[in-house]
Amino acid sequence: MTVAESTFENLRLELRRGCLTLAVLAQLKQEHYGYTLRKELAEHGLEIDESTLYPLLRRLETQGLLTSQWREEEKRNKRFYRLSLEGEQILSRLLAEWNSINTSVLRILDAPKSETAPDAEAK
Amino acid sequence: MPRPSKDTAMELLDRYLQAVRKYLPLRRQDDIIAELRANMESQIEDSESELGRSLTQGEFDDFLRKMGHPMVVASRYQPQQYLIGPTMFPMYVYVLRLALLWAFIVCMIVAAVVTPLTNGTGGAVVEALFRTPGILIQTAAWITLVFAAFEFARTRYPNVCPQIEGLNKSWNPSTLPPLEKDSLREGKPRSFAQAVAEIIFSVLFLGWVLLIPHYPFLLLGPGVAILHVSPYQLAPIWWTFFGWIVALGIMQIVAKCIDLARGSWERPSRIQQIAFKIVGLIPVLVLLAAPGHIYVFLKNSAVDQARLGQNLDQVNNAIHLGFSVICAIVVLQLAFDIGKLVSEGYRSREGRS
Repeated sequence: MTVAESTFENLRLELRRGCLTLAVLAQLKQEHYGYTLRKELAEHGLEIDESTLYPLLRRLETQGLLTSQWREEEKRNKRFYRLSLEGEQILSRLLAEWNSINTSVLRILDAPKSETAPDAEAK
Repeated sequence: MPRPSKDTAMELLDRYLQAVRKYLPLRRQDDIIAELRANMESQIEDSESELGRSLTQGEFDDFLRKMGHPMVVASRYQPQQYLIGPTMFPMYVYVLRLALLWAFIVCMIVAAVVTPLTNGTGGAVVEALFRTPGILIQTAAWITLVFAAFEFARTRYPNVCPQIEGLNKSWNPSTLPPLEKDSLREGKPRSFAQAVAEIIFSVLFLGWVLLIPHYPFLLLGPGVAILHVSPYQLAPIWWTFFGWIVALGIMQIVAKCIDLARGSWERPSRIQQIAFKIVGLIPVLVLLAAPGHIYVFLKNSAVDQARLGQNLDQVNNAIHLGFSVICAIVVLQLAFDIGKLVSEGYRSREGRS
C-alpha cells in the first residue's frame, strides 16, 4: 500500500466511523438483532463488517443509547437491540449536526471559484 | 470441494468461539459468545438457504476468515483504552521534555564537576557519562508510569479522581511568552565599519595579552606588588594555557579577516561560532587535566610548606572547581547551540520541502 493509499484509507475510516454510528442508531428505531441489522444496513448500501458492528452495538448500549433483550426467535436465543429514549434524543441532535455539515460541504463544493478564492480575480 | 458435515462445521464454529472467548473480558464472556454464536449461526443458515446447500469446507473457512482473527474480534469488545489519553498527552510530553532536560543537566554537572572533585580519575568521569542514558530512560519510564497510573485512575474512577479539563479550558492569551528574537534571521547585520573595528580591537587585545607575561601590571595593576612578595608561584601549566589563548586569538582574527575578504561580515556564521566555542574548550580542558591539579605552588616549599601547605591545597582545589564549573557551563551552552542549529536546519529543510 502506498503512502497516499494508506492516508486515504485512514481518512476514509475516520469519516466512516461517525457515519456508521449514525446509521446504526437510525436503523435501530426498529428492533433488530445483530445479523438482521447488518443485512438491513447492507440492503441500504452500507456494508459493515460483523467484527465492527457487533462490538459497536455493545458500546452504544453501554453508553445508554440502546436497550437490549434476549428473546427466542426461530428456536434460537437472540439479543435484540432498540434505540433507547436517550438514544432518540442523541440521534436527532446528531442528525441535525450531520445535515448541517453535509449542507456546508455541498455549499463549499458548489460555490463558484471567485467566492472560495477571492485572490484569484485580483491575480 | 469437500463439504463439512454439520457436526464438523459446528465443531469448527465452537473452536472459533472458544478462541475468541479467551481474549474477552472475563465477566462478559458468556454473554458476548452467546450473541456472537446466534449471529453467526443465522448468517450460516442464511447463506446455506441462499445456496440451497450446506457450505463447503472452503466457504466455511472463508466465512470464519472474514469474521477476523479471534484476537482481533475479541479486542473490538474491549473498552477503548489509552495508556495516556489525548487530554493528558500534551501535558505528559511537556513534563517529559522538561524532566529529561533537567536530568541531562544534572547528569552533566555530576560528571563534569562533582565526580572530578570526589573521585578525580578520568575513568570515574567516563563512567558517570555512561550512566546518563540509563538515568534518562529511568526518568522517562517513571514519568510515563505516573501519567499512565493517573490516566487509569481518571478513567476507571471518574467520581473519585479530579477531572482535568485539558489545556484548552484554562489558558489565558496574556500569559503567552513574548516573541523570541531569532538572532540569525532578525538580528541587526554588522556594518563594514563594525567588522573592521572588531578586527582592530581583537589585534589590540591580542597584543595586550602577549605583553602580560613581560608586564604583569597590565593585568594585575598595583596588585603586582603582592605577586612579588607572595610565597606562591604559578605552575607551568599556565604557560600552556596562555599559548592556547594566544592561538585562539590569532584564529579568531584570521577568521574575521577571511569574512571581511569574502564579504560575509554582515552575519557571523553559526557553525563558525560553534567551532570557536569547541576550540575554546581546549584551554579549559588543558587546565582541568593539569598534573595533580596543581595550579600554584610555593616558591620556597622547604620553608613555607608547614605553614601554608593546607592553604595551597585549598587554593588549587578552588581553581580546579572554578574551571570545572566553567567547563560544564560551556559544554551546556555548546549542546544548546548545536541543538538550536540542528532544529533550525531541520525547520528550514521542512520549509523548503
